[in-house]
This record gives sequence, structure tokens and C-alpha cells, in this order.
Amino acid sequence: MDSSNDEALDIIVTNVVATFRTRCHLNLRTIALEGTNVIYKPEVGKVLMKLRKPMITASIWSSGKIICTGATSEDEAKLGARRLARCLQKLGFKVRFSAFKVVNVLAVCSMPFAVHLIDFTKNNRPIASYEPELHPAATYRIKNLKATIQVFSTGSLTVTGPNVQNVATAVEQVYPLLFECQKPLCK
Amino acid sequence: MLTDTGPVAKLYLSIIDDVIESMRELFLDEGLEDRVLDDLRHLSVTAKLDHLVSSRGSVHHTGKRQTAVSSAVQLWESKMMQSKAMEDFRKNNINSSNFVLQLPANYRQNDQELTASVVIPASQNICSFPVKNNSETLATFSLPAGLAYPVQIPAGVTLQTASGQLYKVNVPVVVTPAPAGQQSVSHPTQKAPAPQPVAIPPHTIHPPQEVEPSPVQATSVTQPPQLMTDLPPSQESSLPQQPQVPAADTSQLQSPPPEVTLAENESSPQAEPVNLSMTASPCSQLLDFQLGTEEALTQTTQLKTRDVDDILKEVIEEEREKADRLDLYSELSDIVQLDGPADNSDMEEEDGGLPLEENDFLGMINAEAIKVLQEGDGSSDDNSISSSSDSEGADELANVEEEDPLNSGDDVIEQDIPDLFDTDNVIVCQYDKIHRSKNRWKFHLKDGVMCYAGRDYVFSKAVGEAEW
Repeated sequence: MDSSNDEALDIIVTNVVATFRTRCHLNLRTIALEGTNVIYKPEVGKVLMKLRKPMITASIWSSGKIICTGATSEDEAKLGARRLARCLQKLGFKVRFSAFKVVNVLAVCSMPFAVHLIDFTKNNRPIASYEPELHPAATYRIKNLKATIQVFSTGSLTVTGPNVQNVATAVEQVYPLLFECQKPLCK
Repeated sequence: MLTDTGPVAKLYLSIIDDVIESMRELFLDEGLEDRVLDDLRHLSVTAKLDHLVSSRGSVHHTGKRQTAVSSAVQLWESKMMQSKAMEDFRKNNINSSNFVLQLPANYRQNDQELTASVVIPASQNICSFPVKNNSETLATFSLPAGLAYPVQIPAGVTLQTASGQLYKVNVPVVVTPAPAGQQSVSHPTQKAPAPQPVAIPPHTIHPPQEVEPSPVQATSVTQPPQLMTDLPPSQESSLPQQPQVPAADTSQLQSPPPEVTLAENESSPQAEPVNLSMTASPCSQLLDFQLGTEEALTQTTQLKTRDVDDILKEVIEEEREKADRLDLYSELSDIVQLDGPADNSDMEEEDGGLPLEENDFLGMINAEAIKVLQEGDGSSDDNSISSSSDSEGADELANVEEEDPLNSGDDVIEQDIPDLFDTDNVIVCQYDKIHRSKNRWKFHLKDGVMCYAGRDYVFSKAVGEAEW
């Protein structure tokens, strides 16, 4: 598990999803009318506010719960969330920044080799699942890390987990398994 | 027919006569024939000129001025009919307000070449009307009281009931009195090829629109206020522009405004000045109208928030009183806010439900009150409730993170892009479709005015793309 497989395997975090609460009711209509860079979705009951500086999109509900997506790192997610709360405060709401939590981290990684998915699935029978008719990737779920890895036959991986550390650990964990099932290089 | 007119009606009729007589000289100067003037008199609601009229036969309307004048007279008459001054006259004619239009059984399209007078079996002759099929003429007459039905009306005639409603007859019809109390109109037997509805129940017709003949500019002074409200939704560009420039060329007005793409704003500079001059007044009025409604809206919302502010404070005081009385207040707070103090995951606030309740209400306070509160109390409210300033380090101990005070300048940097929006380029329009993919936006807009680079444009359709 902790084998030194980090031969510069670039794990690129593409998306960090975080939630926080403002501890106060928010008037969505006020936000939609007076806020900048907002999209009002009354049919769903939320307002999307997009920020440029950390490129994030936030879904704002009237209960005061906010989901913040699009950040590329956990710190960036927190910074963006605080900026967002600051925006709402300026609109006149008594906002308190509380319960910030990173919920999901999505990362991609590429193996330097192709993977034979059928062999990989056979070797890791209960943990890995592969339905080529449904999805072209094999899904490998690590229960204790609560991470999910999707392995494509080209050797590309997408990893989702509750935080960046878990994601990195998951990649390290799955690397040797993939290494065994790599496709011959003659391809 | 008009033997029972009241004194007021007689007065109006005499006025009509005087006006027509006085205009006779003017008509002669203009080169119009006497017959034209007499036709105008025909169109007016009077019975005193029957002898003059009946000798005329069919008269041929030619020229724009004649039709314009005749249309003006009709409108005058229609307005008079609609005005309350003619109420007694109308009461006498109330029998004719309900009538059922039916196509004659032996109708043939060839009959549309009728130029003879309307067949009215009654002894009174109304008038002979210059009936032309192509609706160039605007023959109107009202069905007076005491008229013996059925009345056969050829095509191209505009009918006016005693109640002032005007109907344009596109297909020859036979008018018969309706049974008592019946307001609906039976569908005419469709012998005619044109399936156009001939008569519609009176209360559903919008009179000004029915009067409009195709090429002739029938304008009405009273219509602009109505039409202005129809401007935003109306798709007929010719109609709203007509009242504004009644004397202008029809060709320019009826050409549709050019489609403007946002990428090329100066695509038709030549067409735009022309349209601008024609549409400047309606556009500016449209703008004013919309701006006026927007200003009214903003003002009302501001007033509403201020009132809400006071109301909220009262409610808060009531809640406080209730809290003192009721022990069940904590349970009530659960009902109000499930994810607040009653939330299992967050156990930070134990000051009772009251401050959180207050915050829920205060969350709706407008910006001015917030600033006052913040300046007065500073960030002491947040600080007092939450942990001290270095709360970030100690957060991991508790189940949930403690609050971080959103300091006004220290931690959270303001948005670095302030007001890019105070540009002078403004578009006010309606949208057909707005689409967004990630940060690519596509706009399909319609019916708008815009100010771009200091110039004003108007469009009926606009397509745009932008990246955010």
C-alpha cells in the first residue's frame, strides 16, 4: 500500500466540492436581483453564484446552506467559500461562516501503461466491478478510504474521495494492482 | 329609426351638419368632389339627409385623402357613439345590440361585386354605401332601432352596433335579431371559401383592432394609450407605429426593423437612421414606459423592505414575550428550524433558540440596517458568539468547525472586480432563450432597444454569444 510508486505520477485534482452554512435565512430573490454574477433558478429554489478569482460556482439555498464547486484545491475551496459568504454579507444578510466541510474531491491520474480491465476485475473480484455495456471503465471502491477509482483501459484513472489525502492514498493503493494487469506493451 | 332621438342626439346631429357644411368650401378647395362630402354625411348617424343620399347611388372613393377623412369621420362617429352623451340615443337602439349574423344560403362569391345599396326591407332607407369588395372603402353604418330584420349586408362593410362595437364584415352576411337574452353568435354556414369568422360575440372583440383596414391608416387618437401597453408584447410593428406618425409614409413604417446581431452593431446604418426617426418617439416612449415601471418597482420594493423592517422588529418582540411565557419555546424552535439548534451535527449554539431565531429574521434586514448594526456593534456580535479570533486552529477539536468571523478586510478579501457594470452599453429587451455551457453564454433576444457606443438601436431579434 505504501510502496514508493510515486514515480511522478501526476495526480491532478480537478474538482473540490465543499459545503458550508450561513446560519441565517437567505432571500433568494434579493440575491438574484442585487447580486453580481448570479443565476436564479426559481423552479429548483436556488441561486447559482459564480466567482472568478477562485473559479467556483456556488449553489445557494434559502435555508442558508451553500454548496461550493469547481475549486482546484481544498484551500481554494475554503477561500472561495469565504469570499462568497462575504458577498452575501454585503448584500445585507447576517451571514456567519460556519460548518465548512469539503465533501468531495475529484482527481485524475494517468498510468504510464494500459490496463487489461477483465484481468483486473477478475483479480479483484468483490472490490472491482466492470460492466462494459454500461460503462467503459472498471470501478474499484476502497471501503476504508471511502474512495472510488474508475480505471479505463487506456490507463487513465479518475479518483473521487472525501479529501485530497484519501485520493492520493487510493491511487497509491491501486497502483500495484493495475501494474499486474497491465497490457503488454506491444500494443 | 331616429325619430325618437333625444335632445342631446339632435344637438350632435346638428353639429355634424354644421361641420360638414363648413367644410364644403375646404373640400372644394382641395379638389374633392361634392359627392365625397356627401358620403361623409352618409356615414354619419343621421336620417335627415335621406333624400340627398338616396339619389346618389354608388360613389367611388378614390384617393387617400378621401379615405383618410372618411375614416376620421367614422372614428368621430364611433367615439360619439361610445361616449355617454349619446346614451339616450343608444338606449333607443338597444334592440340592435344583439344580432346574429348568418350567411345567406345562396351566397356566392360572385356577389361580392355588389355596389348596390344595402338591402333593407324597412321603409327607411339608410343610405347607399360605396361597397367595394377589396375593402378599400370604409363603409360604416349602425343598425338603428326599429330596423326590421333580417338585413343583408355585403362584404367589405364595417358594422357598428349601438353599443359602439365595430365589426368588419369580410363575407356577405345576413343580420337577424337574436332571441331574447342570447349573446352568442351562431356559426355561419360556411358556404364562403374564406373561413374567416364573420361575427364574434360582441364582448370579446377589441374594437380598435377590428376597425383597422389593411392599407388604410385608420388612426385613432384614443388608441395610443391602449397601444402603448400592447407595445411590448405586440409583434405587429406596423400597428404601434401608426398612431405616432400618421402622416408618414406607410412603406417605411411597415418595413420590419432590421435584425441586429450583437456582433455587428453597425450592419445597417442606413436603415437605422430611418427607422430611428420613425421609431424614436415610440421607442423613447417604450423606454420611458419600461423605465417608469422599473423605477416604480424598485421604489415599491424599497418601501416594502422598510416596512418589513418595522414589522420584523415587532415580531421579534412578540417572539421574545412568547419565549418568556412558554417553556415549549425550544420545541417551537425545532419546528421553525430543523437544521439550526435542533440539528444533531451542529451543537455549537446553546444560547437558546432566541438568538438564532433573531438571526433568522434579521437575515432579511436590508443593507442599510445591517451597516448600522455592524458599525455600531462592530464585529462584536460574531466574536461574542463564536470563539476568539484564532478559531481556525481550535476547530478540529469540536465535532463541527467553529465559526470564523468574516472580518471586514482581514481574512476575506473583497471581490477584486468591482463595478464593471456601470457601462453605457445597455440593452433592454425580452428573451427567447438564454443558454449557458460552463462559461459560454448564448442569447436569443427579441423586441429590444439598446444603447451601444452612444448610439441607440432597436431590434426585433438579436442573437449573441459571450464568454464569462
